[in-house]
Amino acid sequence: MPRYLVERDFPSGLNIPASDEGANVCRTVVDINAADGVTWIQSYFSTDNKKSYCIYDGPTPEAIRKVAVKNRLPVNRITEVRVLDPYFYRAA
Amino acid sequence: MQLLERELHIEELNALLDRIPSVGGRVALISGEAGIGKTSLLREFAAVQNKAGRVLWGGCEALFTPHPLAPLQDISRQIGGDFPKTICSAPSRHEIFNATLDQLARLATPTVVVIEDAHWADEATLDLIKFLGRRLAGLGVMLVVSYRDDEVADKHPLSSVIGDLPPALLCRIRLQPLSESAVGSLAAAAGRSPAGLHAVTGGNPFFVTEILAASEDKVPSTVRDAVIARMARLSEEARRVAHLVSIVPSHAERWLIDGMIGPGGEVMQECLNAGMVAHRDCSLGFRHEIARRAVEDSMSLPERQDLHAGALAMILKQREGKVAIGRLVHHADNAADSGAVLRFAPVAAERAAALGAHREAAGHLRTALRHAAALGASFPEEERALLFERLSYECYLTDEMADASSTREKALAVWRSLGSRRKEGDALRWLSRLSWFNGRKAAAEAYASEAVTVLEQLPAGRELAMAYSNCAQLSMIAENVGASLEWGRKALELAIRLGETEIEVHALTNIGTAKLVGEDPVGREDLERALGTALNSGFEEHVARAFTNLSTMAFRHREFPAAVEYLKAGIAYCDEHHLDSWIRYMTADRAQISMALGHWDDALKDAQAVIRHPRVAPVSKIPALATLGRIRARRGDPDSETPPGETALAEGYRLAVPTNEMQRLVQVLAARAEAAWLQGAGAPDVLADLSQAYELGLKHADSWIRGELAFWLWRHGLLDKVPARVARPFALQMAGDWQSAARAWEAIGCPYEQAMALADSDDEGPLRAALEIFERLEASPMAAIVRRKLRASGVRSIPRGAQERTRQNPCGMTNRQLRVLGLLVEGRRNADIARRLFVAEKTVDHHVSAVLAKLGVRSRGEAVATATRLGLREAQIEELVAKKIGKIPDGAMARQGHVPRRRTPPAST
Repeated sequence: MPRYLVERDFPSGLNIPASDEGANVCRTVVDINAADGVTWIQSYFSTDNKKSYCIYDGPTPEAIRKVAVKNRLPVNRITEVRVLDPYFYRAA
Repeated sequence: MQLLERELHIEELNALLDRIPSVGGRVALISGEAGIGKTSLLREFAAVQNKAGRVLWGGCEALFTPHPLAPLQDISRQIGGDFPKTICSAPSRHEIFNATLDQLARLATPTVVVIEDAHWADEATLDLIKFLGRRLAGLGVMLVVSYRDDEVADKHPLSSVIGDLPPALLCRIRLQPLSESAVGSLAAAAGRSPAGLHAVTGGNPFFVTEILAASEDKVPSTVRDAVIARMARLSEEARRVAHLVSIVPSHAERWLIDGMIGPGGEVMQECLNAGMVAHRDCSLGFRHEIARRAVEDSMSLPERQDLHAGALAMILKQREGKVAIGRLVHHADNAADSGAVLRFAPVAAERAAALGAHREAAGHLRTALRHAAALGASFPEEERALLFERLSYECYLTDEMADASSTREKALAVWRSLGSRRKEGDALRWLSRLSWFNGRKAAAEAYASEAVTVLEQLPAGRELAMAYSNCAQLSMIAENVGASLEWGRKALELAIRLGETEIEVHALTNIGTAKLVGEDPVGREDLERALGTALNSGFEEHVARAFTNLSTMAFRHREFPAAVEYLKAGIAYCDEHHLDSWIRYMTADRAQISMALGHWDDALKDAQAVIRHPRVAPVSKIPALATLGRIRARRGDPDSETPPGETALAEGYRLAVPTNEMQRLVQVLAARAEAAWLQGAGAPDVLADLSQAYELGLKHADSWIRGELAFWLWRHGLLDKVPARVARPFALQMAGDWQSAARAWEAIGCPYEQAMALADSDDEGPLRAALEIFERLEASPMAAIVRRKLRASGVRSIPRGAQERTRQNPCGMTNRQLRVLGLLVEGRRNADIARRLFVAEKTVDHHVSAVLAKLGVRSRGEAVATATRLGLREAQIEELVAKKIGKIPDGAMARQGHVPRRRTPPAST
């Protein structure tokens, strides 16, 4: 399954509290994703909480957009990516 | 026996059934490997439901060539009344399906309709499942379909039927093997040691019970060994009964058993004790197909042949005409009685074809041909050729074009050796058509002219008229208008002289389409006339073709309202008449139209449905792939390889090139050129192909195809001068008149193209208008280009984008609803909210329901979670309310107690 980097802008910042409520939010997103075969792997946020870079596995970019609409999350750019692990490289 | 580890599934089925009276019909798909307990689960479920008399049960049989509609025959007998007779006497499948629908609509709600072992279903039954599935919403019926999923791979016809069922109505249950503890408790109940049982059986319930019943000291290593071990203990006579029963799929009738063996009551009881099952009509069967096969395979070939020969003789003596003819073929084939096979198989094929079970018709014809080959020279050559022709036609109808071609070639060889020139000419014409389907254009043209040459030497007949019309069709597809009209007129004249209405319709369809290709609007009248005649005469394929050509040509000339209307009517007709490959062709057309009209999500849905279909033809898949790839490019999304190996545009290109047809090539080449341009990447291969197609298009292509090809060369800076005869919006834009071009695109209804024209401007107004359209379509690459252009010309305060605006009030909530949401986020109860808003508690209830509905959630907790996710915290909700009503509401802040925003880290896993 392809892996995608999804960039999202949150002009007024995104706050997901580290509480039951926050856990609920994440679980809802994960459940909605699952219905379309999409997996949220991890996200990185800018320190002002206004931009996120999310790593997703999904069957197609269309599926990434579909679940974003259902989750009411913005999508600014989708890039298909592969992993480069610097520690995988070794001097001969 | 007690059913272990299946309680949840039974509950799931019961719950689904309970909801049907309020929500309408549903489909339950029960899958799992052989012996996993699908039937046991359904029996258990039915045992409870049947008390209300509302379970109808139909089974598919493991015949080499299954009976058409066997499950419906079972069900009709259970419904009783006139229904069985209606089914038998209905002239066509269409009427049978409609009668079934009427009958189900009259039954009490809810009714359970079981179709068991659908992996063995014949084509007509599969179509019935699809037919009912699409109409279930209006029926109080729970359709339960069970199948072995390990036998249903992607290419299995059942998988495409399941794919076509409305996903919202589906409930999927996949049965898992039993756990070690469940196997242990079964062993304990039988007083046996569980050691090794789970490992050997893999938790397969049928295998487990067979081993436990075999009561051997040693655990048998396969389920077959377990079954045979049980049978080994039977008396001689009981074993003879078991052997006889094993050669009849599903179950053997009592009169057959009595006629051939005549066992006493104690022998029958012995069989039942050994795990066989007696049915209500006194027929005898095995508890599972695995057991039947094991017993059948335990006999030697001569033993089996003798039994089949005996059964065939008994059926012919006692019940000829009362047993399905496919059953006679089954026994005759297995008895190696070629004479009987050749007597019954062609008739069985004819019956199957009449019911639309073309795959089964082909199966019977293949069986007949196998036996004809065994007979060698003693079988008449002419009859052999006729069987080849019939098989070729059935293969053509089931989309097995390679087999259709090779079989028709065999017929051709026989006709040639017999010197039947007319038959030879007709076979050549067929081979021309089949070669085209197989993407062999040169071969198609060679066969076409050879057919004309052969047939013109004979007195003119329908074969010649059809050969002319075939030439007209090939020329039309090649956009060779002049030649197509000439052949078409010859065909039409001859068809009318001979009174051959069907050929007349075929010829007129070619003529009308050719005229439209040449941009002569009269063509539409010809096509409408062909459509009318085809509808009146019930020429289903011709109706489908006329609708398709009308909509395709309207689309090609950007006459969208007409194209949409033809598609709507055409798809409805094809749906009703089960013309599935035509539906896919038109669905791909609809995807392209939706893209042009800016309805990209609809376009993607249609395109994906076509692409994912396991048996889609290239002519349908090409435009679907082009649409998918083009929308991805316009949104700036990656053209992912799904499935891996090829991107959508690469696959579209690979499929389009060998067709060598302008209408397919232009779809893919323009999409590739657009994607390359948007990515700003050099793409010498793409542009070389585009230039080549353009040169070809200058000779014969309509103004829209020429326009599209010229336009993308122009965009890439490769067009020397704007050619003549180019569709107006393209011509205007290439001439630099972006304003008129934008107006022209807007008038046609193409927002993206309109914005592309506006984006050519250097003025702020048009650029802002373009940006708004691109934002609305989520066309980020073009939006970025326009933003850069605006910034470069010194414009400030460029709007941030559509997504930002929708998030201001993402769910279109009213002021009051927003305020209720704000209070929910604070964790207020309804009574509290009512007090704060000065309304009744009941009113708050309504507001809360509306808020939940607009957020698309089911509970207050979820609503709060969603509001958080949207970044809608208390303070922001206040802000939104204020903006909507223009000012901060009096005392609102004070009244609700302004909670300062907590600073919390974003969730990151």
